[in-house]
Amino acid sequence: MRLLLVEDSVELADSLLAELGRHGYAVDWLADGRDAAYQGISEPYDLIILDLGLPGRPGLEVLREWRGKGSNTPVLILTARSSWAERIEGLKAGADDYLSKPFHPEELLLRIQALLRRANGLSNQPELVVGGLQLDESEQRVSLNGQQVELTAAEFRLLRYFMLHNGQLLSKSQLSDHLYDGESERDSNVLEVLVNRLRSKFGKAVIETRRGQGYRFVGVR
Amino acid sequence: MGSIQRRIGLALLISLLLAGGLLAQGSLWLFDRGLRNYLQSDLRDEAESLLRAIVRKQSGVQLEAQTVDPSFHRPYSGRYFLIDIDGQLWRSRSLWDHELGMPSSSGLQEQLQGGPQGQHLLVYCAPFKRQGLPVRICVAQDYNPVLQAFTRMQQFALGFGAGLLLLLLLAQRWAVRSALRPLEQVRQQLQQLEQGRRSALELVTVSELQPLVEQINQLLRHTESTLQRSRHALGNLGHALKTPLAVLFTLLQRDEFRAHEALRQSLHEQLLQVRKRLERELGRARLAGEVLPGAHFNCAEEVPALLDTLRMIHSRGLQLEWQGETGLRLPVDREDTLELLGNLLDNACKWAAARVQLTIQAQQQAYVLQVEDDGPGIEASEREQVLQRGSRLDEEVAGHGLGLAIVRDIVDSWGARLTLTQSPLGGLCVRIELPRKAA
Repeated sequence: MRLLLVEDSVELADSLLAELGRHGYAVDWLADGRDAAYQGISEPYDLIILDLGLPGRPGLEVLREWRGKGSNTPVLILTARSSWAERIEGLKAGADDYLSKPFHPEELLLRIQALLRRANGLSNQPELVVGGLQLDESEQRVSLNGQQVELTAAEFRLLRYFMLHNGQLLSKSQLSDHLYDGESERDSNVLEVLVNRLRSKFGKAVIETRRGQGYRFVGVR
Repeated sequence: MGSIQRRIGLALLISLLLAGGLLAQGSLWLFDRGLRNYLQSDLRDEAESLLRAIVRKQSGVQLEAQTVDPSFHRPYSGRYFLIDIDGQLWRSRSLWDHELGMPSSSGLQEQLQGGPQGQHLLVYCAPFKRQGLPVRICVAQDYNPVLQAFTRMQQFALGFGAGLLLLLLLAQRWAVRSALRPLEQVRQQLQQLEQGRRSALELVTVSELQPLVEQINQLLRHTESTLQRSRHALGNLGHALKTPLAVLFTLLQRDEFRAHEALRQSLHEQLLQVRKRLERELGRARLAGEVLPGAHFNCAEEVPALLDTLRMIHSRGLQLEWQGETGLRLPVDREDTLELLGNLLDNACKWAAARVQLTIQAQQQAYVLQVEDDGPGIEASEREQVLQRGSRLDEEVAGHGLGLAIVRDIVDSWGARLTLTQSPLGGLCVRIELPRKAA
């Protein structure tokens, strides 16, 4: 899952980047509203965390511009302005959720999980249950028929993306776009290796390969 | 409270009655005087002609009947005489059996004398000398016809005066009302302002009221901009304090802190306290309360957006509904109301099983806002405790436990009343009664 964090406080952004990274999200960080207005629609983000008090351009204006240009990437507003009047204004501008500062990092992570599931048409449950697998996102563990299966951080990221896009055909470039942030080296061989490792843990049929097109997660039969 | 209209009307009525009464009575009196003076000369002529009719014959001095006016002979004709000639009293035949006293003074008598058949006589007496004898002649004339005319005139004047008075009062009422119309307009506008149906006074056309209206408008603008400035400043302060707090919360998740769990816990506790206090005080400072008379909350415009927001925050398929009359407006600040309803509904959404309902009603005495849910509710015995300040109604579900405290602050600042009851839906019913201001 690739996220964009738009936040002008360097300290908060630093600690959030670390926290989000630990939970398997690839995060790009921007501090200026003008940059965000451009990058928010030019890169394929799965979710955007947007602060409202930004230098350059106000966050609400940036959000309206994104929505005006047809982007429907889920946006979570993160702001110190917590009155209901301001929340309503934020959601009217096109936000999908609103979290006021200060907040618990767990709360932010839960909201991100919920938003991503909602955006991919899944209902909000404590755990992600798709295709016979049960994924505990906070502990980064998966269980198959009640059996715990250990995952590395990279395997967890890929499996979560597959599970959130159950049954969809995903190209390699699409996968790497959503699994790595803008600055990481991208190597399609790494993806192949990871897919094979997931197949070895859950069975060969769990991910189909469509030659020249990409992969499709079908789950455990 | 007296009305200007009534005071002016009363003053005019009294002065018109006094002036009109005096004028009417005074002119009648003057007219009476003039008439009596005029009749006096007639009566004197009469007396002189009677004097000429006194002649000496062989039998003595006597009155020559032929030369005397015939009306003196006709009984009760209204014209009478008495002649005292050297101790001898002659009465006119017209007096018939009526005894008329001979007045002692001369000239026209001030008092009218009683005559026969209820007549009132105007009497004139004068002393003469005739044929060497002292003669005193009194001539009387019935004054009743004149008195009756006066009475008729008085009645007529009374009726006419009363009609005129009524007409004048109506005219004055109309004049005062049209002169006071701008005042009445201002009064109505102030009332609309109070009810939140307008945000400023319109300028009126009379120069006397212009400064007043301008001053009120200026005061309104000033209050509103002060409120906005202070809200903005509070927003900035909140931003400045909350971002570092958010950083601290995230830093606490670091592995370094995890190694010292007790330290982390106690830091976390303190940070929670700071956050709670900050939210509460900033929330309280933002309240407009009753500062702005023109403030209003348009239910049909604001409530649906609020419910959409709540549906988004509580994305678990809750059924959120609201009921209110079309075009209903509450005379309170928009942001205060959103804060109040937002917190109450948020709370209800946390507890509800499937349904949350908001009802807004305009009743005779008060506006009633009700938030109901179908959750577990609160035992009657615990409701009082929950209402105490700072009590954490929503302790067990995500949230800061601040919702109800801020609601209390808002309710207090409005002078409204908050009660907790059992809802027919099964859960808690929070009812807020906002008294209507006297018009």
